[in-house]
Amino acid sequence: MTQLAKLQADFQAYLLDDVKSSSFIKAMIDDNKVGAKKRLSIYHDAYRLRIIEALATAYPQLKALLGDVLFNKIAREYITAYPSTYRNLRWYGSEMREYLLTTLAQHPVAAEMADFESALSLAFDAEDVPELSLQELSAIPPENWDALSFKFQPAIKFVRTRWNTIPIWQALEVEEMPPKPAQESTYQSWLIWRKNFNSQFRLTTEMEVIALNMAVMGATFGEICANLEVEMDEEQAMATAAQYLAGWLENGLICKVTLIKFAS
Amino acid sequence: MRNNLPALGFGLGLRTEHYNAILDTKPQVDWFEALSENYMIPGGLPLNFLDRIRADYPVVMHGVSLSIGSTEPFDLTYLKDLKKLADRIQPAWISDHLCWTGIHGQNIHDLLPLPYTEETAKHVAERVKIVQDYLGRQILLENVSSYASYVDSNMSEWEFISLICEQADCLLLLDVNNIYVSSYNHQFDAKAFIDGIPQQRVQQIHLAGHQNNGDYIIDTHDAPIIDPVWELYGYAISKIGDVSTMIERDDNIPELDVLVQELQIARDLSANVLRAAA
Ligand SMILES: [Fe+2]
Repeated sequence: MTQLAKLQADFQAYLLDDVKSSSFIKAMIDDNKVGAKKRLSIYHDAYRLRIIEALATAYPQLKALLGDVLFNKIAREYITAYPSTYRNLRWYGSEMREYLLTTLAQHPVAAEMADFESALSLAFDAEDVPELSLQELSAIPPENWDALSFKFQPAIKFVRTRWNTIPIWQALEVEEMPPKPAQESTYQSWLIWRKNFNSQFRLTTEMEVIALNMAVMGATFGEICANLEVEMDEEQAMATAAQYLAGWLENGLICKVTLIKFAS
Repeated sequence: MRNNLPALGFGLGLRTEHYNAILDTKPQVDWFEALSENYMIPGGLPLNFLDRIRADYPVVMHGVSLSIGSTEPFDLTYLKDLKKLADRIQPAWISDHLCWTGIHGQNIHDLLPLPYTEETAKHVAERVKIVQDYLGRQILLENVSSYASYVDSNMSEWEFISLICEQADCLLLLDVNNIYVSSYNHQFDAKAFIDGIPQQRVQQIHLAGHQNNGDYIIDTHDAPIIDPVWELYGYAISKIGDVSTMIERDDNIPELDVLVQELQIARDLSANVLRAAA
């Protein structure tokens, strides 16, 4: 290891260690103006403050939910557990859900809220793609519909909650008193996507989640209908699938449609 | 003419808070400096704003995570994405800081100082050449504010900068506020810094405000530029000549108008100094 490499390794170890260790101080010039210890402290403190601020920006309603004191305590511990590997701090904190699942297991809304806020930011930054219009879809003759496969915008994601996390988030977002944490009777699936450059979300039925997941994987409209027929009759299945498709189109989820040619 | 890059005049750092005001009011700002990493993203609103602002103004790219002084191999994804953004934005030039930001694949998100030695200068220069070859253009390196200095250092910061410039044939982004901050923190003569660097390589100047904590100064970019920094800017212009100049404001961000007015101080000061020298 070169002298410079060793210096950088020692400096970084000093910064990452939550306790300001004293062994690295001898690498720095000590003086009676500020002193080496205090000079290094400036970097040590700035590292933590900067990352805590980034986490507060990434998780605004999680912070509102937990309050400043608990949020800052968790953020500080998180920094030690997960040093940043990101070139941009806006992506830092993506393991917050996992972290809260264990550190705040008694407060499950926290992990769910972290998951939700993280998904909203990812959708915000996702790749730009064109939006398929109703006219483009209407131009396809009905006899071809069974063989249609769709390509979706990359921002799409599902967040699953067991608690009333989203109503709590919505209240905090408009600075209103949030409802008390309460467990829902079942898991709920929230679809996240982007429309007009802003992240969107809506509650989705489990049946639609399956249909949309199939469609994202490349299933044709016909295959989606066939899958719904397990739950209902053919006509109902067709109507339900058409209704889903209309919703996806309205939400701007679909960017492309392809006619799949089956080998005969 | 220092090199084949254009003189852009007087610019501002592009900040999210000002996106709409820029597009709606088309302020009298000659150019904008975009923080590269903020736009090295798959897509979405910030890139859309940048594209629209770029349509009306020259833009330069300014990075914080190149980590030119790191002892670790370059993050090739980073370089690839940097180039991709440059292809999209067509910046007048690309800059980053003369510092290191982390090793072992980790990012400290800070501009950490380097020891001023010949060995380090050689190491940095080699890496600058790699980046310049990859990007197909000269890059600008910016002097950072520092709060601590190494026992290992055996030359001044300006001698260190000069060595790198000479070996790598790169350009300089002179941060006048950073010179002031570091000269205060390390008790050196700020004018000696300006005298000591290769002035013909200065392609851009940064100006900013800071926080004075008494025994040391932190480079916070959250306040107006103070008079001693203006004075140092005048000195820099008297030595270097006309240079593209901009104001960085990253915190406590005021209305765009306030920064446009502060930029007028730079315009007037620069013009006065150049007139006096003519
Ligand atoms: Fe700067």
